Amino acid sequence: MNPKLPPPLTRREFIRQSAGGGLGFLAFSSFAPAFLTRSAHAQNPGPERDRPILVIIQLGGGNDGLNTLIPFTDDNYFRLRPNLSIRDNIHPVEDHLALHPALGSFRNLLEDDNLSIIQNVGYPNPSRSHFRSTEIWETATDSDAYSNTGWLGRYLDNNCSGKPEDADPSAVHIGDIIPQSYLTDEPASIFGMRSSGSFKRRKSASEIAYETLLNEPHVEGSTSYLQQTMMNTLVTERRVEKYLAQYKTQVKYPPSNLGQSLKRIAALIHADMETRVYYVSQTGYDTHANQLNKHAQLLGDLANSMAAFQKDLKANKRDDQVLTMTFSEFGRRADENGSAGTDHGTAAPLFVMGRDVKGGVLGQRPDLNLDPKEDLQYTTDFRGIYNTVLDKWLQADAQQILGDKFDPVPFL
Amino acid sequence: MSYAKPSPENFPVKDAWKPLPLSHWNAETAAHLFRRMGYSANPARVKQALNGTVTKTIEGAFKPTSTLPKSAELAKYEREYFERSTQAARLKDSKERRLAQRDIRREGEHLFREYAVQWYRFARDEAHAPQEKFVTFLHDIFVVEQRKIREPFLLFNFEQTLREGIHLKYPELCKRVSREPSMIRYLDLNLSSAKKPNENFARELFELFILGEGNYTEDDIKEAARAFTGYRIKKRTEYTHIPRIHDKSEKSVFGKKGPWDGDDVIDLAFEQPAARTYLIQELMKFYLTDNELPHPDYIQALGDLWASNNYDLKFLIQTFFQSRLFFHPVYRGNLIKSPIQFYLGLCQDLRIDVTPFAGRTLHSMRTMGQNFYNPPNVRGWLYGQNWINATTISGRRQLVDYLFTPIDENNLNGNDQRTLKTALENNYANFQVSKDRLNTLLELEPEALADLLINYFITELSRENYRATLVMLLNKGNPKNYWNLRNTIIGLLQSPAYNLC
Repeated sequence: MNPKLPPPLTRREFIRQSAGGGLGFLAFSSFAPAFLTRSAHAQNPGPERDRPILVIIQLGGGNDGLNTLIPFTDDNYFRLRPNLSIRDNIHPVEDHLALHPALGSFRNLLEDDNLSIIQNVGYPNPSRSHFRSTEIWETATDSDAYSNTGWLGRYLDNNCSGKPEDADPSAVHIGDIIPQSYLTDEPASIFGMRSSGSFKRRKSASEIAYETLLNEPHVEGSTSYLQQTMMNTLVTERRVEKYLAQYKTQVKYPPSNLGQSLKRIAALIHADMETRVYYVSQTGYDTHANQLNKHAQLLGDLANSMAAFQKDLKANKRDDQVLTMTFSEFGRRADENGSAGTDHGTAAPLFVMGRDVKGGVLGQRPDLNLDPKEDLQYTTDFRGIYNTVLDKWLQADAQQILGDKFDPVPFL
Repeated sequence: MSYAKPSPENFPVKDAWKPLPLSHWNAETAAHLFRRMGYSANPARVKQALNGTVTKTIEGAFKPTSTLPKSAELAKYEREYFERSTQAARLKDSKERRLAQRDIRREGEHLFREYAVQWYRFARDEAHAPQEKFVTFLHDIFVVEQRKIREPFLLFNFEQTLREGIHLKYPELCKRVSREPSMIRYLDLNLSSAKKPNENFARELFELFILGEGNYTEDDIKEAARAFTGYRIKKRTEYTHIPRIHDKSEKSVFGKKGPWDGDDVIDLAFEQPAARTYLIQELMKFYLTDNELPHPDYIQALGDLWASNNYDLKFLIQTFFQSRLFFHPVYRGNLIKSPIQFYLGLCQDLRIDVTPFAGRTLHSMRTMGQNFYNPPNVRGWLYGQNWINATTISGRRQLVDYLFTPIDENNLNGNDQRTLKTALENNYANFQVSKDRLNTLLELEPEALADLLINYFITELSRENYRATLVMLLNKGNPKNYWNLRNTIIGLLQSPAYNLC
């Protein structure tokens, strides 16, 4: 008989106790599969806990920058957008710039200097393909270069490898698909969860059969990848479900996917997870047709969700630890198309939120003196923003991770 | 067990696409073929295949079989759709109008779910599985999302076009797809006109259907967009071409000038070298391996063969599945099952039917990351390791648990109770693994039982490692006990090995 296998009932009790933070599991570790034992070690608070955390919000589909940060004194804006330009109910943030009417929740954040807006962000020789351009942003390469790793994956490779295999995940994403930003060279513990619904605790005794088979030796390739992921998942799942169930907050988040996702992230941050990066997506920005209502609805959800998140972090006294940043694969064409929408374009503004940001608008305004088929010319390279995030916030070697020097953007 | 990857030195490119020699046609290779063409390897089918040849087996799997029938309800909804929605829109009272429109929409959503379950049942049938799996491959090239196209009959008709497409040349299929109302709407072709060309369709045609990113210029797209003008939908249901809004002037696409229309642009794209290899690369990702092939010459060689056979899809299918490269040991047991393969493979392996509760089935597929007709975006699903993360693993495990847990009728909602009643009346009753079925296995000794389970459920790669553990699990406590057997099988079906094919 294989000595790895304990009497079932006792083992299950140990696992339960472990999930509840008891000590019994560690003491009998020689009975349990190795990966579950290691996870028990990870329950001890580590020195990692006070380190800075980054939250990325992806605006999927290509956000229309000109209707996000509106150049409301620029005649060219109204010339290029006879039907889609917005004049009424906008929120001026500077003499020449105003936020979209739906972004009202950003006003308080701006007043408290908790929000920086960086204008006209892009990169040289832009791609107008969703996938290619998303890939460029997520891998932080030149537009003609390819990388198998994401910019945050390289950060994880450089700064978070060598952690015990079953410590808290280094990176968490919400949604069914791991973002390309997270792809690493070295195996990393990356955890994905849904924005809603509960984690059901499985009561079936078949779990023992599963765990035992899972502990079989690795085979090369896909099996090994599957096996690692399954082990880490089992361990993390138990911890995360506990944190989410325990979390109570006074802050009201929007019921949207984005709002609920950010609420879950707040819960995990509050629980002192060691996780350093979180990633969440809001989709629907690919507004080729009838864009006005759709875009307003998306931006409203974005601003309300982000404002609630920041308020919650502040209430929990975690706002000094968290920086939140948005990005979108591209902006949209300056001139509107014939379907009351906009086609794929180039540069657009992005938002960085946190207690430590300088606040206000940074970077140069796009020049709108364009022919109808012309695109905006970016003035800030997104990798300069990554540079600042890596260097000033995550305290990592930005040049090594980005492979080149980029002018930092002074929002921190 | 490990094998050297094929390289031009140890596995010459000129031999890679030749048929597997008869000497290698055996139970293992035949099982590999069935798992990859369809969703599982039924021992009876494997045995039957060994009486014939690999070529005949593939021919048999892809010969035109019966097609998914359109239900009477869906056909009626389609027939009346235009008139009903026009009447609803004309209602003066805004509340009445909203209610009428809501009713039409809800009926459509209901019919969509019925169609989804009907498809899973159809594809679960081993006689249809290879054809339907190839349809899902085409779905992943020609993406249309139900999120955007709400009319279930448009989605049904589009899928039927893809199904018929298996027997066409690929350029012809591309042309038919460009005339599909759901695609026309999905990629905004219906908003494109000579005055205001919309680039969405032209871009995806080159990037996702024919050439791949980087094999065209922005100008090619702008010019091609002008050729794809005049595509409209009549009565919200049928394709029609409107010459008045079609741009008849000269365009320059891939350096060739002429008054091209959409079909001409498709033909021009197929003259580009990338057209030979793009679809084949996608085919490899779907059917063979996550990783790039060790040398690009393998793809190029198949691409050249395919092009010289006029991009005939049946030729590609036949050549690929019977090839020596397809059967290379490195490509057996290496591929992570898609959620569809995981689910339908389970149904086939366990000899049970698809759960009749639409909500349950669709939710399960969504949790595993393959929501029916709703890929994450226009690029479709990415396959392979991309299926696997914490969320989707939980989804797969829950599904296995569910298939071994008797339905508690008292726990069903009214809808599901009615569904169950109708299903049972129609002899559609076998959707859980019953105690009786497993009990027949308990006569076997644990060693023999372990052999049976590993040979039946998993590939060669993991059998050696798993065998002793299974014997140990089956021997535990009270051997030959039903619960012990049930829990061991559940663990095996959730294990890494069963997630591979």
